[in-house]
Amino acid sequence: MMNEPWGKDGPAVAARQVTKTYANGVRAVRAVDLEIPPGEIRAVVGENGAGKSTLMKMFYGLEQPSAGEILVGGRPRVLRGPASAIALGVGMVHQNLMLVPSFTVAQNVVLGVEPGRRGLVDPKAAVETTARLAEESGLVVDPRARVEEVSVGMRQRTEILKALHRRARVLILDEPTAVLTPQETEDLFAAVRRLRDGGMTVLFISHKLREVREISDKVSVMRAGSLVGTVATADATERSLASMMVGRDMSLDVDRTPARPAEPTLRVRSLGYEAATAQSLHGLDFDVAAGEIVGVAGIEGNGQSELAEILAGLRRPTAGTVHIDGTDTAGLDVAGHRRAGIGYVPEDRLHNGAALDASIADNLVVDRHDRPPLARRGVLHPGAVREHADRLIDQYAIRTPDPSVPVRALSGGNMQKVIVARELSAGPRLLIASQVTRGVDIGAMRFMYERLVAARDAGAAVLLISADLTELLALSDRLLVLKDGRLVARFDDTTGLTEKRVGLYMLGVERHDRDHLTAHLETPGEEAP
Amino acid sequence: MTTTPMTAIETEDRRQYRTTRRRDFAVDLSMALATILAALVIGFLVMLATGNDPIRAYEAMLTGPLDRSFRVGRWLEDATTLTLLGLSVAIPFRARQISLGAESQVYAGALAAATVSIFLPLPPVVAVVVPMAAAAAAGAGMGLVPGTMKARLGANEIVATLMLNAIVVRVYDYLVNGPLKEPGSNAVHSENIRPDSALTPLSDWFGIPLGRANIGLGVMLLTAVALWLLITRTPLGYRIRMTGANPDFAAYGGIRVPRVIEWSFVIGGAVAGLAGAHLVQGVYGRLEPGLAGSLAFEGIVVALLARNNPLVVVVAGLFYSYLRAGGDIMEQQTDVGTEIVVVIQAVIVLLVTAQALPNLLKRRIARRQVGVR
Repeated sequence: MMNEPWGKDGPAVAARQVTKTYANGVRAVRAVDLEIPPGEIRAVVGENGAGKSTLMKMFYGLEQPSAGEILVGGRPRVLRGPASAIALGVGMVHQNLMLVPSFTVAQNVVLGVEPGRRGLVDPKAAVETTARLAEESGLVVDPRARVEEVSVGMRQRTEILKALHRRARVLILDEPTAVLTPQETEDLFAAVRRLRDGGMTVLFISHKLREVREISDKVSVMRAGSLVGTVATADATERSLASMMVGRDMSLDVDRTPARPAEPTLRVRSLGYEAATAQSLHGLDFDVAAGEIVGVAGIEGNGQSELAEILAGLRRPTAGTVHIDGTDTAGLDVAGHRRAGIGYVPEDRLHNGAALDASIADNLVVDRHDRPPLARRGVLHPGAVREHADRLIDQYAIRTPDPSVPVRALSGGNMQKVIVARELSAGPRLLIASQVTRGVDIGAMRFMYERLVAARDAGAAVLLISADLTELLALSDRLLVLKDGRLVARFDDTTGLTEKRVGLYMLGVERHDRDHLTAHLETPGEEAP
Repeated sequence: MTTTPMTAIETEDRRQYRTTRRRDFAVDLSMALATILAALVIGFLVMLATGNDPIRAYEAMLTGPLDRSFRVGRWLEDATTLTLLGLSVAIPFRARQISLGAESQVYAGALAAATVSIFLPLPPVVAVVVPMAAAAAAGAGMGLVPGTMKARLGANEIVATLMLNAIVVRVYDYLVNGPLKEPGSNAVHSENIRPDSALTPLSDWFGIPLGRANIGLGVMLLTAVALWLLITRTPLGYRIRMTGANPDFAAYGGIRVPRVIEWSFVIGGAVAGLAGAHLVQGVYGRLEPGLAGSLAFEGIVVALLARNNPLVVVVAGLFYSYLRAGGDIMEQQTDVGTEIVVVIQAVIVLLVTAQALPNLLKRRIARRQVGVR
């Protein structure tokens, strides 16, 4: 496939007075002027809904501007779809990787532009091409491995190679590090720099300001659809970028007094889980005390989801015991777990955290719709449900004109507030918070952090599961690391702990021995003096 | 990054939001009327194309059912059965269970009502209530079978209900042709029910001939209100709604989803059973072969038209029956067959189930407003 000609000079990609108004009347991008010269790594940052994804989609032909024009290779272009963007040399790696799981890495790389003749694919040439591209770019992959069997990091590298194979000269990376360990992130950055030095233009979308500072040459900040400004990365600090993003001075540092842990609320002993379609868990032992936040780190898919769902009663363990304040949760259903004092913010709020087409008011009462004050003598009082919603909307600053608004109409952060409001207002003894800030804006993120710390200080035990190490280190009083369904590390003091160090345990390079992992754990029932 | 663009609704104030809601409601309502109008226009064109006189035909169809009081009675009698059957599927539909079992439930209800009211001598009033209760119980039982199969065993509810329909209809035919057939009669039907068990005809109350319309109409209206209260004002109704909105969310919130699914089937079955009782005790006074006709399946259409809101089901049922009654009259009085009514009904169903149309209109209005600002 030949790329269409590029102009000799001028920006690799540019937007001129680009505006995008969606069919529902939302103006996602407003009169944005942006120019990215060839061979630059440009970070585009902004809160959720700031319009950065929409802008990128316009560069990749997934959306068309309502006004203004998109320039690729120095000339105005009409991108009717990704195909025309690819033809012009624009490649995009999405946050949700789009590969064929049952194909090999090489097959995915050449997909659509297969080597071979007369409609036959030459598998050998595909593998060779992939290996050559990998060699040149420093993106290490195994061309013959099937995509469903390789790590998320390799899948991502496959996506990038796929773009390179299509002769991309502009590479758009949409939150590429969200799924990576710190080590994988470093490797990715090294490869991206190498590509840049070879003349590649890279657009790097992220909300992790630390990474933005590390990788980019310049940073463009978007807020509420408009471009706030572009600064040289060397001149920017995380704090200055954050305040540009939100329009006021704001920091993500969490004010956190040292925890004053009391008696263990949650005791997990020899917990095991076997299932055909999920990650198994093997012999987990740990406590979470009232008044402390215990973080669970790990690369996604190492048993965090299973652990959370077992503790919430959504899955049944196949071995071991779980006690909440002396209550054995074996045999209890979900409602029973909730009665025992468990609150759960699920990792995927769209899947089971909310009923999107139901109202905010209905979403806030799912665990308490059958008892006073909402229901008396078998009658559910809509007035009481509404009052309850009004109160929580007020307390948790949920932005909505009315409790009858369907949850689907809310932005990510606001939707998460609905869920957190419900779970915290139940007054849980143990709160399981899974990916609590995923896809929420900085304001909501800060809000969640404050509420988690407040819940801790009010005496709740908090189990914080997150893929974001920065978040875990900022919030956790203690930290556990899961790898392949096993506990491999336990840090009883998180001060001075670095992401890199935790990353070594996440990857399985290092591990704590069993005595360290199970130190000072009492058997439930034998109360300490 | 989530892919959803920032939504406008969050930034609205309450007054703005209510205005939007009222506007959306107005759009919905006018779209419903426009849909009916469009269907009639298409029917008009079809008749014109087939060389009929559409004006005369429409006159018969649209004014016919109100022409004489007994025709009104026929419309109301038909609407009662149809609406009950619509209600019976609306409840499982609310729990996102595609129950097609109204047919087995209505026949089971008819059998139960007939058996009790033919063979069991009871004092007045009780003689009306007990067969109806028996019918509701039989219908509920017919709902519980596929409900349990779906909820506990993971059987597909569509297959389960359809297969059960096949079985129950054969059993019904056998009983009406055999053990329950009136001895010594040439025609195939059961004995008449005892007079005490009959639902009082509306003619007795209003003093004008209203055909076979009976106080079953009142039962139907009460049932609709009761179901609406169930859905909006009880914990079980909430559980049904949440199970329908997102079963994973319901389970996460501590709702026992399988039990809710069973209940939705049982309640729907009981209502369909009542429709059977209405046919036996109010309309025919005995068991006849195929007494529910195609009503069980048209009930599904009615429920869909009403978006499973029990109160709207009443409106939709009355409207749909009106078209049915009008079609019959049109066929009698003109050369146009009832097929044209089927065309009109089909167009309405297609347009209503295509929910994209009103949404498109709402979005267009929203965009225009943004442009003005």
